[in-house]
Amino acid sequence: MSHAPALIEAQNLNMRYVTGRLALQGASLSVAAGEFAVILGANGSGKSTMLRIIAGITKPTDGQVRIAGQDITGLKGRHLAEARMALGMVFQHANLVKRRSVLANVVCGTLGRHRNALTALGMLPAQELPFGLRCLERVGLTKFAYQRASTLSGGQAQRASIARALAQRPAALLADEPLASLDPEAAEEVMRLLRRLAKEEGMAVLAVLHQPDIARRYADRLLGLRKGVIAFADQPANVTDGEIDSLYEGFATT
Amino acid sequence: MTAEGAVIDRGAVRPVMSRRGWMLRALIVLAVLGIVAQAVVVVQARPQDLVTGVHGMADLLSRSWPPAVGGIGQELWPALETVDIGIFGTVFAVFLALPLAILAARNTTPLLPAYYAARSLIAICRAVPDLVWALLFVTAVGLGPFAGALALTVHSVGMLGRLLAEVIEDMDMGPMEALATTGAGRLQVFAHAVVPTVLPSLLGIALYRLDENIRSSLVLGFVGAGGIGFELLSAMSLFDYQTVSLLLIMTFAIVMGAERLSAALRRRVA
Repeated sequence: MSHAPALIEAQNLNMRYVTGRLALQGASLSVAAGEFAVILGANGSGKSTMLRIIAGITKPTDGQVRIAGQDITGLKGRHLAEARMALGMVFQHANLVKRRSVLANVVCGTLGRHRNALTALGMLPAQELPFGLRCLERVGLTKFAYQRASTLSGGQAQRASIARALAQRPAALLADEPLASLDPEAAEEVMRLLRRLAKEEGMAVLAVLHQPDIARRYADRLLGLRKGVIAFADQPANVTDGEIDSLYEGFATT
Repeated sequence: MTAEGAVIDRGAVRPVMSRRGWMLRALIVLAVLGIVAQAVVVVQARPQDLVTGVHGMADLLSRSWPPAVGGIGQELWPALETVDIGIFGTVFAVFLALPLAILAARNTTPLLPAYYAARSLIAICRAVPDLVWALLFVTAVGLGPFAGALALTVHSVGMLGRLLAEVIEDMDMGPMEALATTGAGRLQVFAHAVVPTVLPSLLGIALYRLDENIRSSLVLGFVGAGGIGFELLSAMSLFDYQTVSLLLIMTFAIVMGAERLSAALRRRVA
C-alpha cells in the first residue's frame, strides 16, 4: 500500500499442531515502516499462534517470517535471539520488575547489546541511562523515571513496558493484546502511543486486539483471522461491521 | 500442602455415622493411645523422680547462685564467636543457596538433570542435622569455631535452598519472559528479573535463618565447634555452676537479641 519497506513479513504460514488441528492455513501479512496494523479474530482463530510465530517463539509447520528483511524461521539459539532484537514485544501485562525503578526497567531493554560479566551480575549498563531516559520521554513518562515501577498505574506501566521495548532499538513492535488489562482511558492512551510510534518514528507496529471498535479508530489496516485463514486485510474504512462480526460468529461471549 | 485446603468443608455434608464409622473411630483412638503409651514406656518416664529430685534441683539452683558475673570478661570472646559463627554460616549460605535454588526451581532450571542434582544436594544438606555436620567438620578442620561456621553454612544451604526454590517457583514469570524477548541472556534474566523480584523474600528468609543459626551455634560448641557452647560444656564438667548460670544468662541475652533484631529487620524489608 505504500513504498516504505516491509519490516514484518509473513508468507504462507501453515501451522498444524501434533493433535492434527490446523491453526493457520496459508496466512500471509506484511507491515511496512510507518504502518500500524491490527489483527482481529475470535479465540481459537489462530491470532496468538500467528503472533508467536512472527515473534520467533513458535516454529511454523511451513512458511516464512522476515523481520527487517531477515528470515528468522530457520534460525536457532543465539542467532535467533539476535535477529529477534529487531522486534520489540509488548505483552498483555506490563511485566515490569515492580521493585525496581521505572528507568531501571527500561534500561533492561538494552541488556541484549551489553552481554558481559557485570550485567550478568545485575549491574545496568550506565552509558545507557541517558538513552533510557529518552525512551521514557518518547512514551511521556520522564517524570516517573526514578519511581518504583510498582507506583505506576496500569496504563503508565504498559507505556513503560513499551519504553523498555524501544530501548532494544527495534525496527518493529509486536503487541499481544496490550489493552487486555487496561481501563478504557488507559487503552486509548496506549493506542495513541502505538500509532505515534508508527507515524512519527517510522516503526512497523503489529498488534493483536480484542476490541474491533478501538482498532478501527487507530489502525491503518485491519487483518481479520477466521479459522486460521486471513479473511480480510484492508483499511478500516473499507472493512464493514458485518465483516468484523463474521469473525466472531459462534463466539457470543467475545 | 494441598491437603489442608481439601478438608475445609468437613461437616458440610455429614451423614448419620454408620456402625462401621464408629468402629473406625474407636480403632483410631485406640491406636493413638497405644502410640502414646509405648512412648511413655520407651522414654522410661518416672514422674516420681521429679518429686524425689526436687532436692537435687534446689541444690543445683543454690550452687548456681549468684552467677559468676566477675568472669564475664573472659566469656565475651566466646560469645562473639557464637554470634559470628551464625553470621558466617548465614551469609555464605545465602550466596551458595541462591544459584542452587535457581537450578532447583522448576521454572528457572536450564536442564532437568541440573534440577535433580540441585534438589538432591539441597536435600542432603538439609537432612543431615547441623550438629552432625559440626562433628564431621571438627574431624576435618579440627576443633574451633571454623568447624561450626562450616557446619552451619552447609546445613543452611539446605534450608535456604529449599525455601528459595519455592519462592522462585511461585514467582510471576512475566518479567522473565519480557526480558528474554528483549534479547537478554540467561544470566542477565536471572540477575535483572529473578533476583530483584525474590529479593525481599530472600532477605526475610535469610534474617530468619540468622536467628536460627545463632541459636544453633550455641549448641555446636558441645561437640567442640567453638563459641559459648564449648564454655558451657567445660563449666558443666567442672561442676562450676556459677559460671554455668552466667553463661545461661548470656545465652538468653544473645538468643533474645538475635530474635528481636531479626524480627525488626524482617518487618523493615517486608
